[in-house]
Amino acid sequence: MRRYVAGRLLQATIVVLLVTTVTFILVHLAPGDPIAVALDRPSVTEEVRQRYRAEFGLDRPVAEQYLRWVGNALRGELGFSFSFRRPVADVIADALPRTLLLVGLALALSFALGIVVAVLQSERPGGARDRWLGRVLLVLYSVPDFWLALVVLIVFAYRLPIFPPSGIVDPVLHDYMSPAERLVDRLRHLVLPVATLTLLATAAISRHQRSALLEVMPSDWMRTAIAKGLSRRRAVRRHALRNALLPSITLAGLYLPALVSGALLVEKVFSWPGMGLLAANAIASRDYPLITAAVLVTSVAVALGALLADLASAAADPRIRVG
Amino acid sequence: MPRLPRPLRAKPARWTHVALAGLMLVACRDVQQQSATAGPNDIGGTMVVAQPGEPATLLPALQGQIIERQITDLLYDRLAEIGEDLNTVGDKGFRKQLADRWEWAADSLSIVFHLNPRARWHDGQPVRASDVRYSVALMKDPALGSPGLPLIGNIDSVAVRDSLTAVAYFKRHTPEQFYDLVYQVSIVPQHILGNTPAGQMKTAEITRRGIGSGRFRLARFEPGKRLELVADTANYRGRPKLDRIVYVPTPDFNTAVTRFFAGDADFFEQLRPEHLAKIATDTARRAVPYTTLGYAYLALNNVDAKQPGLPHPIFGDRAVRRALTMAVDRRAMLRNVFGTYGAPAYGPFPRSLPAADTTLPQLPYDTTRARALLDSAGWLVGPDGVRAKDGRRLEFGITTPVSSAARKQYSVLLQDAFKQIGAVARIDEVDMAGFMARNGDRSFDTILELYATDPSVSGFKQSWTTSGIGKDGSNFGSYSNPAVDALLDSATLTFEPARTRVYARRAFETIIEDAPGIWLYEPPSVAGLHKRIRTTPMRADGYWSGMADWWIPAAERTARDRIGLRPTP
Repeated sequence: MRRYVAGRLLQATIVVLLVTTVTFILVHLAPGDPIAVALDRPSVTEEVRQRYRAEFGLDRPVAEQYLRWVGNALRGELGFSFSFRRPVADVIADALPRTLLLVGLALALSFALGIVVAVLQSERPGGARDRWLGRVLLVLYSVPDFWLALVVLIVFAYRLPIFPPSGIVDPVLHDYMSPAERLVDRLRHLVLPVATLTLLATAAISRHQRSALLEVMPSDWMRTAIAKGLSRRRAVRRHALRNALLPSITLAGLYLPALVSGALLVEKVFSWPGMGLLAANAIASRDYPLITAAVLVTSVAVALGALLADLASAAADPRIRVG
Repeated sequence: MPRLPRPLRAKPARWTHVALAGLMLVACRDVQQQSATAGPNDIGGTMVVAQPGEPATLLPALQGQIIERQITDLLYDRLAEIGEDLNTVGDKGFRKQLADRWEWAADSLSIVFHLNPRARWHDGQPVRASDVRYSVALMKDPALGSPGLPLIGNIDSVAVRDSLTAVAYFKRHTPEQFYDLVYQVSIVPQHILGNTPAGQMKTAEITRRGIGSGRFRLARFEPGKRLELVADTANYRGRPKLDRIVYVPTPDFNTAVTRFFAGDADFFEQLRPEHLAKIATDTARRAVPYTTLGYAYLALNNVDAKQPGLPHPIFGDRAVRRALTMAVDRRAMLRNVFGTYGAPAYGPFPRSLPAADTTLPQLPYDTTRARALLDSAGWLVGPDGVRAKDGRRLEFGITTPVSSAARKQYSVLLQDAFKQIGAVARIDEVDMAGFMARNGDRSFDTILELYATDPSVSGFKQSWTTSGIGKDGSNFGSYSNPAVDALLDSATLTFEPARTRVYARRAFETIIEDAPGIWLYEPPSVAGLHKRIRTTPMRADGYWSGMADWWIPAAERTARDRIGLRPTP
């Protein structure tokens, strides 16, 4: 097992290195550069811009910049963000917890809801409930995330102003609220982005879970359980579900990177200052160090997520061997 | 009898402006009905501003973007403030800020500024003449790399006569030397910044502390969440009427609009035509039109992007440029994109500048003449309906930023207009960074510019004279006409504002005739504002300039207004 984990970590390191290398090259190949974006006043001369480029090493060959970046990253230094004028590590340290909260909550709710919906569907496959839930899920599965986010925003923050449209907390009153009011304020601001992400992920999770449940339903042990007098509902919940959880575990591993990469478009629509919004703004402003660092964090999460999913699958199902 | 196309003659206020004028009248009437001035009890309240971004630095000498200036203008003072008429010649119209008074030397090569003895930094330290000297020296220090450095080249140095008297020395006596100093240089505290080498300022945390002498001071700056300014209650110019302004970054346009209409924000600087009907019936919010110094045009590249130094194979020919201009029905496009509240551009200037002249003759919308011009220039219609000359088709690209809805619409309308006279235009949408890269490299055939100039006539030199060609200038289309160079030189060297206008008018007239660009529109700027907030006149170079005097009547305050200035728990 240790050897397997060590091997997978080595693979992960190579993948991370490749991904960051490709990202680094691609962002440098894209038209525009961070200095031109940061200094867009007409009065700024090219000489001033060149001075900035020289100071930040942007006038050096891309290969040299890359090697320097790798060297610094190995020492834990992720560089300096041009758009924020702050160390990249500080910028990410601000954004990451916000994304962990948003996406973590949404994923927890999605898995809970997705599994419940799948169980409800599987109790009577082909029945009215299965068909209607299937249609709703298919719609949710098909809609683009930014579209759903905008619809939710317009309906629940604009037409029916029930929830705040954006941000993490009330920008003015939050600090003057009682602890209980602050909690409510924070939860109210979470509702719309979490609901959007939850609906989107629930659709995918429940579809996979339903398929897995339907696969195990014809098994001998299920027939036996029902023959022994268990209702179909109890048989599904007690026996089938436990045996059909593997796809959800795999999906959880695949969704894990979203915990750190954020939900780019949903964060943008709701002005949620997490990793997704950070990455979007970094790309728009060609903030090379911030883009590369965001990709580094995400690729590490992808590699670890895949590894954890494999290990969790093996733990959940003894028939699966790792190593 | 065929209907002749309507020429675009300059008539400053056509019916296209009626709606906007109506909006302005309603807005003015609203304000008048509400009450004209703040009473003694109308001090306090909070305004939340939904902003598309947030500042990267709060050091004025380093600011490279307008969003940074919006904040630093409220945090820092200058020696004097430009007047409402935006005059930049001499010191006429300028109002005192940190300087109580000033005296010109007999040779006009130096100006003595007497500082207000009551002026204090936000940390309580007095503002000294040495701060003025430091501010200028810092901005002039090449190690700092100030984006504003080229604008203060005429300032030689500042000497300290005593703690409250600073003497500014200039290299040459120019009409705008006073403006150069007082408009371009914000005074910053030496005791806060002086220990940080200029070369390290770009990455120094201290540049985000925002300690100035303005009527607002920085309460907190939480990137991504909010930036909060609070009233400097002991300010030497009087405390602002509002208690605080909170800026909340809202990068998505639709979210910002929703935030405003949902009551989460009180001010949003850029409503679109589709929001005006809603706001007209809104009982809590109103539209506030304001002027800016921006104008939009299709820049036609005079030089070949692939072979710099050679004229562009299409736009190097003045007749072709004029023909393409005549092919465009600018009024129809304006109505199409902005409905009834668009404002046409009359030339390479915004109408709010003193040098602007909206009565200048324009090239008419006349497709018949446009076709004839192209025929005579040798661009003949081929069998496919597309004109060609010497084997080259009349085909070119229109570069437009993908983030601008108005410019995207314009690119489609222009494409269709050019098609009518046998020209093929390819629309090339790029993101803002790519757009700026093409602008900088001049690697485009045509590009849809939205250019914001500064109040100075010398800004036009940067955009439309030969000296503005190249990466240091804003002459994106590399247009060059010695007559225009001479006229704009004269405009910037005369000490009489009336003569400045005469020279500028002749320069603009020549530019319009040469058609280096197709003048399209002035961005219609209508802000959304909560009705409880009263404004003061908004200056065209920055609507925020008077924010310290915006106010909320005591009787109309909401929960967020009633917090007062108690410290954050």
